[in-house]
Amino acid sequence: MPIQKRFAEKTSTYLANIILTSVLTTVNINASARSWTGADDLPTAPLSCGTSTASAAPRAYDGGTPVKAPNRKDKRLNVVDVPKIVGIGYFNATSKGIAAAAKELGNVEVRTDGSTKANIDDQITSIDNYITRGVDGILFAANDPVAIAPILKRALARGINVVGYDADAARNARQWFVNQAEFNSMAKVLIDTLAREIGAGGSFAIVTSTFVTPNQARWIAEMSAYQAKCFPQMKWLETVEAQEDNVLSFTQTTTLINKYGNKLAGIVGMTTVATPAAAEAIAQAKKCGKVAVIGMATPNAIKPYLNNGCMKSAVLWNPVDLGYAAMYALRAIADETLKPGSVSLKAGRLGELKVVKGSEILLGEPYVFTKSNVNRFDF
Amino acid sequence: MTSSTERQAPDVGTCTVSDATPGAHGRNETTLRRAGIREQFGRWRQQFVLVGTIATLFIVVGTINPMFLSGSNITNIFASNAYIAIAAIGMSLIIICGHIDVSVGALIGVLAMVSGWLAVEEYPTWLAWVAPVVIGVIVNAFIGTLVAYGRIPSIIVTLGMLSILKGGLISVTGGAWLSNLPPDFLIAQFQLFGVPSTVWFMVALTLATAVWMHWSFLGRAFYAVGSNAEAAQIVGIQTAPTVVMAFAIHGGFAGVATVLFATQMQVIQATVPVNLELAIIASAVVGGVSILGGRGLVVGATLAAILFATINSSLIFLDVSAYWLRATQAVLILGAVLADIASRRKVR
Amino acid sequence: MNVQAASLPRCFRHEALLLVLLAAALLSLAWQSDRFLTADNLLNQARLMTEVSLIAIGMTFVIVSGGIDLSVGSIFGLVAISMGVLWQSCGLPLPLAMFLAIAAGGMAGWLNGFVVTRFGVPSLIATLATLILYRGLAEGISQGRSVRGYPEWFLQLAQGDLFWAPHQFWLLTTCAVVATLILGWTTFGRATYAIGANETATWFSGIDTRCTKVWIYTASGLLSAMAAVIFVSRVSTTRSDMGTGMELEAITAVVLGGTSIFGGRGTVVGTVLGLALIQALKNGLSLAGVKSDGVIVVIGLVLIFTSIISNLCSHDEGRS
Repeated sequence: MPIQKRFAEKTSTYLANIILTSVLTTVNINASARSWTGADDLPTAPLSCGTSTASAAPRAYDGGTPVKAPNRKDKRLNVVDVPKIVGIGYFNATSKGIAAAAKELGNVEVRTDGSTKANIDDQITSIDNYITRGVDGILFAANDPVAIAPILKRALARGINVVGYDADAARNARQWFVNQAEFNSMAKVLIDTLAREIGAGGSFAIVTSTFVTPNQARWIAEMSAYQAKCFPQMKWLETVEAQEDNVLSFTQTTTLINKYGNKLAGIVGMTTVATPAAAEAIAQAKKCGKVAVIGMATPNAIKPYLNNGCMKSAVLWNPVDLGYAAMYALRAIADETLKPGSVSLKAGRLGELKVVKGSEILLGEPYVFTKSNVNRFDF
Repeated sequence: MTSSTERQAPDVGTCTVSDATPGAHGRNETTLRRAGIREQFGRWRQQFVLVGTIATLFIVVGTINPMFLSGSNITNIFASNAYIAIAAIGMSLIIICGHIDVSVGALIGVLAMVSGWLAVEEYPTWLAWVAPVVIGVIVNAFIGTLVAYGRIPSIIVTLGMLSILKGGLISVTGGAWLSNLPPDFLIAQFQLFGVPSTVWFMVALTLATAVWMHWSFLGRAFYAVGSNAEAAQIVGIQTAPTVVMAFAIHGGFAGVATVLFATQMQVIQATVPVNLELAIIASAVVGGVSILGGRGLVVGATLAAILFATINSSLIFLDVSAYWLRATQAVLILGAVLADIASRRKVR
Repeated sequence: MNVQAASLPRCFRHEALLLVLLAAALLSLAWQSDRFLTADNLLNQARLMTEVSLIAIGMTFVIVSGGIDLSVGSIFGLVAISMGVLWQSCGLPLPLAMFLAIAAGGMAGWLNGFVVTRFGVPSLIATLATLILYRGLAEGISQGRSVRGYPEWFLQLAQGDLFWAPHQFWLLTTCAVVATLILGWTTFGRATYAIGANETATWFSGIDTRCTKVWIYTASGLLSAMAAVIFVSRVSTTRSDMGTGMELEAITAVVLGGTSIFGGRGTVVGTVLGLALIQALKNGLSLAGVKSDGVIVVIGLVLIFTSIISNLCSHDEGRS
């Protein structure tokens, strides 16, 4: 190939790259002037500032109904639990709760089966296989509320009982959903805790999983609304993505610490993976006490940080209880003690759980783990 | 991947003997050395491109946000991808031999669990460090045997191993994490003269491997086998054991990478980062190791891993919108690759 | 050397092996669970495996020509997002959005072919880079938002039936038949084999290898695009992370089907058999009570063993 042509090719390659990169960078910098927060577009309902919590008005039942479900009252149930992903502590805990409830009830056989990727297709295929196999009940935590709806509706059409937990599906695709905490109530607890630790005018950053995870987007949207309402002086610096990966969360947090230096007063971890990783990053950067770490975490993961003072508290609900309640809900549906129109669920050792928003069962208030109570838990 | 056909690219009229392989041609070595500065520059070209890009990024981003150049950030950049760099060195050896391994990510996951389990069950710390390396060598030697003696293409074997390891890991661990790691096990968190041990490992291993590849017989045999296996066989290099050795050494590097990966934090996750093998392969490939086999320097793999870490950090410092992050990374990578390819055509 | 004729007996040997394996798998899985070998279940499986199958058919051409295409999963995601954005944000009528999105997928495939032929970048590297690029574009264009609320007729495309089989089944069968005919009986197909066997010789024979390769990669992109539209219809939503990991699934099916990774050998029939075997295992084992982690281990083992057996059976295997 003649030299001129080669040279032209090489130059044009370099030029193309430079132009493309600059265009993209300019677009980004302009786009990010609006500062990505990770929130979604849906309407928010921030709670009132201060300590009071309002309760929502009761709604009519809006869940789905199985078609020609056989009479399962007091019969042995064959149930499958399909979480978002297997291999992370959070869903290990929910599985434990489900298994514990099954053992207590004595007449339920349950197995947890899911993919190692938080993938909608794998989840749908898994559920499909179990429908074909013939199960009596499905417990699920949806990767995507809309994508999972067709297969769940198919399950309902075959007379299978369907109960969700942690992450909901379209309302008419399942019978009941056990909600760990209301989105706005969780947002309130997080922001209140944050304000307590960094002050009403502090700057903070958020570490989330991905921007396509529905729960994350909802929480962040509610946090944004609540913070704007009650702590308008707080500065929201940035939100970074860290998948559900330990090491990536650690690296991203370290970069944030390096980027903002002393301006950063607090980090909020939005997943049970991100929070301990962020605390570790703070600890290794020797900024314990100077940068506050709050967020959602399982007690085992943050015990060391609560003990050494890097973290003062973490928020979660009890995922073991969540699984436990979901299993009891399914049993109650089969035994016909939980029906459309019920106002509460009797969930074993958890007592009576309230029904909110028509077809949701509320686990309770978010639980705050601190140094004093963390040793009571093992998950 | 490699076959005599791929190497006969449609750029007809030019001699296709790999002229950039160090010492692979035995008697032609002196002829190669006489090729002079341009040839030397040609070999190191990709490395220059990488170093240049890293330096440019440092300068540009450092100017925009001086916090980028702070000691802790630079340390973070070098330390965060150190384990990928080390795994990429091993991967480079395989690619130079003309093969590939897509199961390395899953292997690292399994080895991390083994290492952590040994540490938690109070076995001696040195055992928890050494076991992943040894197991990595054994597993990959097995893969290498299937590839070299079973004559199954490496992509098939490693695709199969990927599934087996991934599924096996979840079956055995049930997805549970390992916590309560003893502090003296956490080698990645040790520091020497203020620099994390991961960086020392990365630098030491890179230099050692680079020197070894250049001066040792086995190192050159890798280049020979990757460049033209039949010719190497004729010259007297036994291809099959060489390939097995390459895989075994790659397994060893994966083991070392695992120890550094697993000890970065106080807990070990039961899953590996998504696309870890892709990151490792990309590091090796962008580092200048030719996928056609027979050429490239392992130093490039390390530099490429550092480049990726620099890019990731820069994009956060530059406030690049999270939605366009990956696209920007892709353009930068594509740029590095095209720059190398475009200038590589001149060297022939 | 007549590549086609010489490879014929070898081809049939591997496909025959696959057929035997498939039959064995079907029988043993049917024995494990009585729900497995029902028409309802099997047709449902056809519905679930369509997306990977379309991609694998395209991948067959690519691998037979001696290349590889890792970006198919990302093209999948990009097309899904494009369709959603064109329909919802740009307000185009949905059929037009579908058409444009598929065209975009073809363009993405064309770009792959362009980079591989024009710049001489090895296909592994080129498609590795475009894998990241297209995924990045999908994420950027979607801005993290999902697109929902598709009309009922669109959802029926992948969730409905025609006569007694799902729509996808007919589409898949048609594509497989057409692909087999093209690969086995047209000049284009023969050129594909020739390029995979020896590109320089093919070039000298007067066949425009560059044009053929570009068409192959474009076709791969188009098939991924079609698969994406079907998938969106099946799950009634679009997300930017759709299609991750599909490239490895497709490649597994193609190599299981007997296509040589070095090029020059392989058939669409083999790929289809490979796909059927994998799907049968995934479904049958799950029905028999094996959990998902166990299933992927089995598939890995099947892949390796089939390769070993196939290698043992073909002693005149010259390549290493």
